[in-house]
Order: sequence, then structure tokens, then C-alpha cells
Amino acid sequence: MRRSRLSISLLAGAAVVIGTLVVAKSAIASERVVHLAGWGAKSGPLRSFGVNSEAVLKAAIKSVNDAGGIKMGDGAMAKISLDYYDSACNAEQGIAVARKVASETGALVGMGPTCSGVAAAMFGIFQKKVGDAGDSGLQFPILTDTAVRNGLAKISQWTFRNTPNEPDMYDKLFAWLRKTHPDAKTMYGGTETDQGHSKGTYAKVILQAAKRHGFTWVGDGIPELGTKIAVGWKEALDKSSNWLLADTNFSVQARAFKRAKADMLVVSAHPFTTCGMLKELKRQRIKPKILVGLTSSSSDETLKGCAKQAEGMIIPTSFAPINDTAMMVAKLAQKEGGSADLHSAAAWENIIIIKQVIEEQGIMGKPETLKTDREKMRAGLANLETTAGLLGQVKRVQEEGEALKPFVFVQAMAGEWKVVHDPR
Amino acid sequence: MDDIVFYTVEITQSIIDGVLFGSTYSLIGIGFTLIFGAMHKLNMTYAAASLAGAYIGLVFFTLFDAPAMLVFLAAIVGSAGIGLIVYYICFRYIPVENHLAALMASVGALFFIDEIVIHATNASPLTFPALFDDVMLELGPFGIRGDLLFVFAVSLISMAALWYLLYRTRLGLATRAVSQQGIAAQLCGIDVHRTNGATFVVAGMLGGVAGSMIGASVGILSPLLTLPITIKGLIVTVIGGLGSIPGAIVAGFLVGALENIFLFVRGVNERDMYIMLLLFVFLVFRPHGIFSRRAERD
Repeated sequence: MRRSRLSISLLAGAAVVIGTLVVAKSAIASERVVHLAGWGAKSGPLRSFGVNSEAVLKAAIKSVNDAGGIKMGDGAMAKISLDYYDSACNAEQGIAVARKVASETGALVGMGPTCSGVAAAMFGIFQKKVGDAGDSGLQFPILTDTAVRNGLAKISQWTFRNTPNEPDMYDKLFAWLRKTHPDAKTMYGGTETDQGHSKGTYAKVILQAAKRHGFTWVGDGIPELGTKIAVGWKEALDKSSNWLLADTNFSVQARAFKRAKADMLVVSAHPFTTCGMLKELKRQRIKPKILVGLTSSSSDETLKGCAKQAEGMIIPTSFAPINDTAMMVAKLAQKEGGSADLHSAAAWENIIIIKQVIEEQGIMGKPETLKTDREKMRAGLANLETTAGLLGQVKRVQEEGEALKPFVFVQAMAGEWKVVHDPR
Repeated sequence: MDDIVFYTVEITQSIIDGVLFGSTYSLIGIGFTLIFGAMHKLNMTYAAASLAGAYIGLVFFTLFDAPAMLVFLAAIVGSAGIGLIVYYICFRYIPVENHLAALMASVGALFFIDEIVIHATNASPLTFPALFDDVMLELGPFGIRGDLLFVFAVSLISMAALWYLLYRTRLGLATRAVSQQGIAAQLCGIDVHRTNGATFVVAGMLGGVAGSMIGASVGILSPLLTLPITIKGLIVTVIGGLGSIPGAIVAGFLVGALENIFLFVRGVNERDMYIMLLLFVFLVFRPHGIFSRRAERD
């Protein structure tokens, strides 16, 4: 008798547990989830970029989910989920991830990649013009945070970027430098010629912007160098003292910098060779009046590698922890194992943009509405005139799918990037 | 006249810098050649293991603020340990005659070691301690970096120590015996596997010196260094002659100097092209390296 009572109690208990589990499962199943996909360099020598982007994306998603999620087209609240893929800094891998995410996952929108070279190749497989029946390219919206080389988003109407606008940044930087250093007249510099972003920004953007504001190339100058973007870039590259991304010995280049005796030196490179070059400049006791760096070097990596030698270097950046939200993002990114910089901080803004578009466009977030939802997302991204940025309002340049982000000028001082001018 | 003086000074300076930095190429080349000499197999992990050893040294610098010499020592021990592991994983149990399997295993291990470093450091460039990095000896128009001079001296001492080990110790005798005639060495009572393992440890120690000296001369460590150093090491090994230690030493200096000259004269975009051309010239006209006798051809 006692045994059968025990059995009944056990059975009842089991039934309650199973019932609870079933109810919980159905509750989970009925909770709407918006799937997002991100990808960037998680392996290879540029891993830090992917790690930082993923950390900021996770922090942003957690913040949105903790605040209740996103209001979908039918009024239901949805949480965001993220799958982050490794596209390394490899064009084929980036294309493969884009194809997989677009065709095999329920992701509403993709965010990535890290490298401009990957972005240039990857954007090429997307449908160029929306609604073009003759173009079977991918029809899946992309919102890029990191790949920064000038003018990439216009490759397809499905691709958008929330990356800094370097022509605008360097134009304002040199205008400010002209005012603050009226005695500085001449310039000289070099870049990593095997890195599209470093080389392109240096030869097509930085030098022209500097010339526009009265800086002249040392010696006889470069007659071909113009004040408009890209004018005379080949001749400028030829006259510069350049290196490659994985170079280890910069003595020849630094001697060329020394011989130039320029008032302003430009080192347009990623952190590793920026540090290599700066260390060699210091060894050869080269002290220019002004030292200008590439946007991508305004990061923790540069300070980890050569804080002492970078002292004084000025860089324009679209992220600095100068207000409460930006400071919070920097802390949350650290908590997620990354750091917020001008590239990764855009990932935070992207999540806010995506939330805004979902709510404005009435996106449903259901498996059966995926195609329509993606089209609405693209249309929503294309219609944005402004978005909320961490340093202020971001203007959209929609004919190109690009952003005009607010920025500040930072200078390496005592192992930190300090804001020296705020042109906002 | 001014132009002649300018070019003479610049090219001489390029040669000085190149030779000093080339001593690290020599060390990597010696490592490749030592293992090839002993086992007639290429250990493709060698440069990656050398740099991984330097990263092990860096742990002591980062966590305990250890002095540079201790960091270098930890790098040597770390790299020797990695060398032994690589021997057991990629060579020890792979049939002697299967050269391709050992080669591919070591290529796999190269990328594996590199990715471990990448994941451990998030691929961030990290400051590596150097000695005399703020010293610049000025001799007229020429400048000699104190840290490179130190790197050069350490490299020469390491090469001398290796020579002593190979030609004045029982281990060296065993290594040379195994490299010349493995079966005969075994018949004489030499434990071939133990000797090969010891060769990997010795080469690893040398790699630790190379890795830390590369770190010290660049001032930073980054996983970006792995592939170029591997390629430079292989070029030096081939130009010096596979299995020839004096050849690797001279080839390291030669490649370092020529690299800088080509960089100065033709620029960075053509520099590596001329180094590859040099490799091609050696493979065609002197396939057994700098100190080889006349080579037979097909």
C-alpha cells in the first residue's frame, strides 16, 4: 500500500515536471526572435578586429534585449539573437559566409566584414539594382561596421555602411592643423602598399586633403598631386617611402623620412607597422612638428605595441569615450572581451539602426515573412536620413549607401588617446 | 659628385642594417638546415615555433615584468619545448621514407601554432623588450643601432655555441653520425630517435634565440611575422645549401643586406621580387647552395 502511494506520488511529480517543461518550451517557442548574422576576422593576423566587433555587437544586443527587445509589426515583442561567423581577412571566405547566411539561415540582415578587400569582393555578389530581374545576385541587406575603404557601399543597393567618412575627416583635420600649426609647410610620408585601406586612404585622400590646406610635398613637390580625391595618387605613392604589412625592418624608410626634413610626417598604416615605423623614427631621432596617422591606428592595439613612440600622433576618429553613452559602450565592450574603437563602436550603432528600421517598417520576424522582411529592411536602411550615433547624429548619404559620422581628433598622450579637438 | 657620396653612404648604411638584421635570418636558416641535415626533412614549423617561444618569454615580461635577459631565456626554453613536441607529433612516428607526410604534418602544425598565438593574443601587436634600443652609435655619416648590434652579437655567440656543440661534444658527434649515415650510426649504438629528438631541442633553443632577437630588433611581436620569417628562413636555407650551417649563416647576411639594397634602389614593391629572383638564380646555377661544389644536373 505504502509502495503504491509512493509510486503515485512519483508519477504525479513526474507529470508536474513534464507539464512544466512542456509549458516552458511552448512559451520559448512562441517568443519571437529576430536572427542577425555578423562576420569578421576571427582568425588570422587581424583577429582583434573581429573580436572587438563581436564583443560590441553582443553588448548592444544584450542591452536591447534587457530593455524588452524590439516591437515587431504585429505588436509582439521580439528578442535579438546573433550568430557571428569567421570570414578571416579572406575574400573567398567572406563570399562563402555571405552566401551561406543569405541562403541557409533566417538572418534578417548581415553585419560585416572586417577587411575592405573582402567587402569589395563580397559586395560584388549582391544584386546591383533592387528589382533587376536579370541580376540573380544576393538579395540580402548588409550593414557594415568595419571595412572602411572609401566608396564601397555603392557597389550594390543591398549594401550599406556605417563607417567613418575619411575624406571628410582628413579634410577637417588638415584644416584644423593649418590653423594650429601655421608654421608647418611641408609634408612627407609612407604607407603599407599591400593594404588597400592604408594605401588608398594615404594616396587618394590624405595627401590631397593636406595639399588642399596648404601643405606641400617636400623638395620639388609632386606637380601631379591635386586637391581633389585621388588626383596624382600614383605619383604620390612613387615619391613616398613605403613598406608592407608584415615588414620588420624600417631603417631604409625611416632614413628617407629623416632626409625629407618635413614639418609634417604621415604614417598611414595599421597598428603593427605603424609601431614598427614609429620605433624606427624614434631610434633615428626624427621629431616632426606634426605626426599624422591612419584612422585604423587610433586603437588600443597601437598603444599596446608602442605607446611611448606614438606620443604626439594625431588621428581623426569617429569614436572616443567622451560622453556617458560612449563611455558605457567602452565598458560593456570590455566586459564582453573586446574593446570599442572607431571600427567596432559602429557595431553598437548598427544594432540601434536595425531596431529602428524593424520598428518603423513593421517587420514581422517570422520564418514565412523572411523574404519580405529582408526587402523591408533594405528599404528601411535606404530611407534613413539620419541615425543616432555614439558621438552625435549620423547623416546618411543614401545615393552611396554611406554615412557621414561625427568625429573628433585624438592624440596619443601618456599611453592614452586624448581628444585634442572636437569639430562637431 | 654629391649623388655618388649620397648613394655610397646610403647603400653602405643599408648593407650595415641588413647584415645586422640578417643575423636573425641566419639563425632561422640554421634551424631549418640543422633539422634537414639530421633527418633529411623540412620542419616547416620552425619559424612559427621560434616566435611562439618568444611569446612564451613575453608572458614573463607581461605578468611579472621580468628583465629582458630572463624573457630571452624563457623564450629559449619555451621554443626548445615546442621543438620537442613538434618532433613527436610531426616526425617521430611518421615512416622515415614518407617525406611528404612529415612535410604536410609540419605545415599543419605551423598554422596550428600560429592560430594558437593569434587566439591567445587576439593578434594584437605586443611590445617586446629590447636591450640597447635607445643606443645609436654614430660613425661619421653612418649610424649603427645598439639593439641590432646586440642582436648580431647574440646571434654570433649562438652560432659559436652551436658549432662547439656539433664539433666538440658527444651529442654533436652523434648528430653528425645520424645525419651522415643513420643505419651505420644505429649499428654503432647511437639511439637515432633520441639523437633526432635532441637535435630538435637544440634547434628549438636556437629558434628561441632567433624569435626573441627578432622580437627585440622589431620591438614588437605580432603573428604577422610568422609567414615572412618562415619564407625568409627557407630562402636562406636554400641559398646557403640545404644542410650547410656556414651556408645558412652567410646566406642570412646576404639576404638581409640585399633586401635593404633592393628596397633602397627599387622600392618596396619590387624588393621581394629580386630576392625571389636571387633564389631562382641559386636553384638554377648553384642548386646546392653557396658553399657547394659543382652540382650534377638531370
